[in-house]
Amino acid sequence: MANPKDLSVSANGDNTVIGPSIVINGKLTGDEDLTVRGRLEGELALTKTLIVEPSGIVKANVSVKNAVISGAVVGNVDAEESIELTKEGRMVGDIRSPRVILVDGASFKGRIDMGEVSGERTASERGSRAPVRTVRSVPVAARPGANSRARSEGKPPSPPPPPESRSGAPLPPMVAAGSRRRVVVKKKAR
Amino acid sequence: MAQGEQTGIIGKGITIRGNLTGGGDLVIEGRVEGQISLKNHLTIERTGHVEAEIRAEELTINGEASGNIDASSMVSISSSAKVAGDIKAPRVVIEDGAVFNGTIQMDVKLPDDI
Amino acid sequence: MANTVIGSSIIIDGEISGDEDLVVQGTVKGKILLKESLYVESSGVVEADIETQNVEVSGKVTGNINASDKVELKTDCRVIGDIKAPRILIADGASFKGNVDMDMKER
Repeated sequence: MANPKDLSVSANGDNTVIGPSIVINGKLTGDEDLTVRGRLEGELALTKTLIVEPSGIVKANVSVKNAVISGAVVGNVDAEESIELTKEGRMVGDIRSPRVILVDGASFKGRIDMGEVSGERTASERGSRAPVRTVRSVPVAARPGANSRARSEGKPPSPPPPPESRSGAPLPPMVAAGSRRRVVVKKKAR
Repeated sequence: MAQGEQTGIIGKGITIRGNLTGGGDLVIEGRVEGQISLKNHLTIERTGHVEAEIRAEELTINGEASGNIDASSMVSISSSAKVAGDIKAPRVVIEDGAVFNGTIQMDVKLPDDI
Repeated sequence: MANTVIGSSIIIDGEISGDEDLVVQGTVKGKILLKESLYVESSGVVEADIETQNVEVSGKVTGNINASDKVELKTDCRVIGDIKAPRILIADGASFKGNVDMDMKER
């Protein structure tokens, strides 16, 4: 990140910095990058990148394009492109993003929802967001046929796995291959 | 399974259904369904496919895993991995490109005034 | 200069407090409480009650301003609200509507 002196000089306001002694309590929205070195409580919605520096504390539900967290975040983060918890990052809450990076040293407690399971990721697949939202509200169930298709990376649909395999841990929602993140909800007959 | 030196390998063409326990390291290149309980390092290779409750000291996932994971030191999910399930471990690493869906329970030290 | 800059596309609805300078280039609605200086730049829009040490306005402020040291209204600014400060500077071209109270006592 640019050092503070550069940022204060920028007349465009391309990059907003919340200094270490600042406390903002409320709702923040914006179309630019935001660097938090102080404290932000409430709600945050950005169309660009959120950077929480080690001294930063964010206690809010966050909706951004990208997030790089090196400070403390309590709340859910919805990142359209990516979220990275660096080695000083600490987060308690749920993450929803197609790309999640947890660096060694980061600490996290909560749910991670990346959505897709199938084959090679393309840039367009990373970009598409809307269907991923449905994954959250879907009960934990998966169609056996869809799973085997997803895993065999382009091979013709193989027969559904034998029932015993399902007797283990409950599987979180999985996305059928080729259907661009459409989630199929079908209760398994146990 | 032998302690220390020896590493067990479950080859690509093998499928195991049931309980796996042991004290040495284990590398899975094939398929395991059921339960795994290891005192040391479990590696699920790229071709590996595990649907099991896993308990191990350390876990490196390069392939596919679904099921709950309990590791006493660290879980590493590399970029080629696809993992689904709940993870409980003091250290968890997720590399860029990995696919993970589930919960992670690490010990998170937050500032007192949060 | 300032460590905290609220950029031009940012909208904050809530309370801001702190012990450092604040530059507002975007929109703030609510309350601003600073121990240092507030700079509302020409693109800045503040609809809030302000309590700081110094205030320098080049943009728009609607709300009461209470400064312990100085308030400066620069050319082309628009301020609607009451100002209470020991020192006040209103530049030629500034637009102001409200009461002025030059508080002689220390805060």
